[in-house]
Amino acid sequence: MMWAIIKKEFLQLRRDPRLIALILVMPLLLLVLFGLALKLEPENMKMAYFDEDCSFFTMLIDTELGNDGYFNLYEVESLESLKEEIRAGRAKAGLHIKSDFSALLVENRQPHITFYVDGTMPSLTTAMKYNSKTVTSENITSQMYFLDANESNVVIAKTPFIMDTEILFNPEEKETWFFLPGVIGVLIMQIALILTGISVVREKEKNTLEQLFVTSISKMTFVIGKIVPYIIITMFDFYLILGVGWYLFELPFPDSQTALFLLAFIYISVMIALGFLISLISQTQQQAMFIAIFIIVPSILLSGFIFPLEAIPEYIRPISYIIPFTYFVEIIRGLLIKHTLLSDLFYDYLALVSFVIVFVSLSVVIFKKKL
Amino acid sequence: MIKIENIVKKIAKKSVINKLSLDIPKGIIFGLLGPNGAGKTTLIRMLCGILKSDSGTIEINDKPVEEAKHIFGYVSQSFGQYEELSVWENIVFYAQMYGVTDTTRLNTLLNRYNLEQYRDTPAGELSGGYKRRLALVCALAHNPLVLFLDEPTAGIDPVTRKLLWDDFYALSMEGKTLFVTTHYMEEAERCHQLAFLAKGEIVAEGTPATIKDSLNGVRLFSITLSYTPLAMQYLSDIEGIVLINQFGNELRIMIKPDCDIETIQKILEDKLQVKSKLKQSTLDLEDVFIALTQDKAL
Repeated sequence: MMWAIIKKEFLQLRRDPRLIALILVMPLLLLVLFGLALKLEPENMKMAYFDEDCSFFTMLIDTELGNDGYFNLYEVESLESLKEEIRAGRAKAGLHIKSDFSALLVENRQPHITFYVDGTMPSLTTAMKYNSKTVTSENITSQMYFLDANESNVVIAKTPFIMDTEILFNPEEKETWFFLPGVIGVLIMQIALILTGISVVREKEKNTLEQLFVTSISKMTFVIGKIVPYIIITMFDFYLILGVGWYLFELPFPDSQTALFLLAFIYISVMIALGFLISLISQTQQQAMFIAIFIIVPSILLSGFIFPLEAIPEYIRPISYIIPFTYFVEIIRGLLIKHTLLSDLFYDYLALVSFVIVFVSLSVVIFKKKL
Repeated sequence: MIKIENIVKKIAKKSVINKLSLDIPKGIIFGLLGPNGAGKTTLIRMLCGILKSDSGTIEINDKPVEEAKHIFGYVSQSFGQYEELSVWENIVFYAQMYGVTDTTRLNTLLNRYNLEQYRDTPAGELSGGYKRRLALVCALAHNPLVLFLDEPTAGIDPVTRKLLWDDFYALSMEGKTLFVTTHYMEEAERCHQLAFLAKGEIVAEGTPATIKDSLNGVRLFSITLSYTPLAMQYLSDIEGIVLINQFGNELRIMIKPDCDIETIQKILEDKLQVKSKLKQSTLDLEDVFIALTQDKAL
């Protein structure tokens, strides 16, 4: 008898080709994608440098830093703009060399240079700190010597200069500060996608949709009426989770609550619209759940939430940029941890708004066609 | 009240409704009969605006379906109310879908259909009969002129079925037009007008009485005979037999006007040693229905 049930289950699964595709094809696709994409060691970390000295010695340092491809250096005009580059997310690190560097160096008075590093992502911070150490290695210091025509070169000192490291934004390198803002986004994504994902398909399965469409209700009223409650519930959930984060884990507060509210509202709208789209293309609640899961998993792994975006190969990175969660992570870390200027987050907000437009338009087209 | 002209519907390239026309006057109970897969549900879904026809026109009270939604109600074959909501919440919700906010009429309906006792019960917990009543109340909440009922009494016990039909008459007396699809002959007999649907086409139309007379000259004979597969075997090849139908100990044979009944009598006597004589009977709706909707051409 048990075999009969097992056989029946297989038969049922076989008759649902979409589900088979979701069960077999999606895991394979994701495995290949993650296999190619997920690397812990990033390359080409953007580093802004402000070299006031511009001497032979400082060139040595700058060149060494950019040498092995880990850092990708570009010059800025002031210390303020160096910090701003990091705050805006355009650079992950920065290097400041003061104008008296060479003067102090030749007098063997151990000048200091400052390495600034974004502390938002503690694992990356540690890696960057480690990689920056090459500038104080013998490779460089051995080249900092006095020329003497009669004798062999004299190295200035074993430690000719000192590199200070300043961690910006999350000086205590709290992992919670790094993860928690993203976790909020993941939770909201789960709730919104699954709640909305099954909403229409459930009405289809239970036959209430047919009964509803016989009434004089317009399709637009139906869509809005269907979406608004989930937006309210998910907004409430967002602040509930965030409130716990503030209370239990001492998450920092944003400079602008309005900007945070705007982020919550736009991000939730993206997720609800995407959920609605899933509900329209699914034929059963089971299919809707699977599609939702297959959106959530790559979102978590390819968005920069856990692994830095810089660690994802260039040819796969476009996928990261079509994931709405990528922009949410960037904005919420900017708002809560880095206090990034709103003008620097403008394009991230714009990207999220574009997702709302795309998903809503697609939903309208499919909705008109199918229902 | 309901005017259908030349509608055609194909689903997955297969013709489901083929150039169908009907004109249903106001205030009657119109029954649509047809075997499974004849296109009844497709037709009623088109009339309610759930499906669109490929060609042809449908008008309800001289308006296209989309503009007439507020003047008709629909009770689908399967329960289409929200199981988690209470009886009252469902009624109020569906009333609001038509812009009705006054609860006086809704309370009257609740009492009329004896649902007052279940007012706060979740709809999912109701018995089959009460679920139908609730569906009916939801469809009537906006006081429509036309009511589409897709197999409204399928799976319902005879007592509830009778109660529902008493109510259908009352609704028709109030001037409402009822469009009912059904499999039940007893139910079909109750309709003022009928149409038989087979393979997407109307094969007979009229009152139950005129439909019974529609089989030009076809006669029905019956004989007392217990079921035997041999009867079917010997009779099925005879030219002119339209239908052989066994009812308990009675064998009913429908024949075309030119078919000689004596030949049949002789076969029954010779091959099956039947002693009694075939007697002419009156056709009932089921005989006509099977004769018209079976594959054998009349």
